[in-house]
Amino acid sequence: METGLFAIAAGIAVLTGFGAGIGIGIATSRAAEGVSRQPEAAGKITTITLIGSVLAEATAIYGLVVALIILFVKWPA
Amino acid sequence: MNLSEELTIAMSPHGLFGFKIFGMEIFVTDTIFLMWIIMAIMIILAMLLTRNLKLVPDGKQNAAEAFVEFMQKFSKDNMGHHSKHFVPYLGTLVLFLAVSNTISIFNILPVGSLMKTITGNEAFGELVLRPPTKDINLTVILALISIILVIFSSIRFKGVKGWLQYHVEPSVILLPFKIMDYFVRTLSLSMRLFGNILGSFILMELVFAVMPAFVPAVFSIYFDLFDGFLQAYVFVFLTSLYIGEAIE
Repeated sequence: METGLFAIAAGIAVLTGFGAGIGIGIATSRAAEGVSRQPEAAGKITTITLIGSVLAEATAIYGLVVALIILFVKWPA
Repeated sequence: MNLSEELTIAMSPHGLFGFKIFGMEIFVTDTIFLMWIIMAIMIILAMLLTRNLKLVPDGKQNAAEAFVEFMQKFSKDNMGHHSKHFVPYLGTLVLFLAVSNTISIFNILPVGSLMKTITGNEAFGELVLRPPTKDINLTVILALISIILVIFSSIRFKGVKGWLQYHVEPSVILLPFKIMDYFVRTLSLSMRLFGNILGSFILMELVFAVMPAFVPAVFSIYFDLFDGFLQAYVFVFLTSLYIGEAIE
């Protein structure tokens, strides 16, 4: 019946990916700057970027999980 | 059957066979069965790779040694001088996760129908090689194992007093946050793995539905292989980070 509204709700939940994308973008651009300034520190910078990206990405994943819960859990009418 | 129903069936674990223990019916789901397959593959590979070891390594022994050395260096970087106790756990975890996240590229093997003809059990017909880590039950258990290991290793290397001390450092105000930390870490470890694998799995299914030939192969390189290995590495990396913080 209101499946359309559920789909819209799931779509809104997935908007968390917006913030994660910006966050990972900033982290990666700074990492690229850092490596071009100090190529010898590339290994450490890669590790730190990976942690940062993974933590930033967690928000997007929560959004995805919430969207999936909205879509696939049978809600009482 | 429309696409959404097919996806719902593919996402949820289903029981293959059950047995009774203490009056409770326990079902072996396809997640557990896939884990058995992966464990069998890994045990056989480990036995093959470590058979008749030589002082001067050749071919397959080189590969095994390279992996062990990589894990030792990785642990040492993240956990300092107690790291050698954790190399077996982290190595097993990263191998298991790497195989289970990427197992769907072997989807062409007819494991389900093979098991059906061997055992005569109809339920095996539904069995497809899909990553078992897309089942939230498995990822929650893996995250719980990691967090319990963090707590126990903290007690083992710092003593009960040192472990309790850790919660009130540098100030008592932090106590509720440090306790909350255990739950948040479990949640984020399990949800990250589950969400990534399930997300890429759904995307691959959608790509299959739109264009069943050639295009999925290109997407599979990123979503199955790259993402699978990355998530396995990230899970182990975060576990080692937590352990390193707890035992220092």
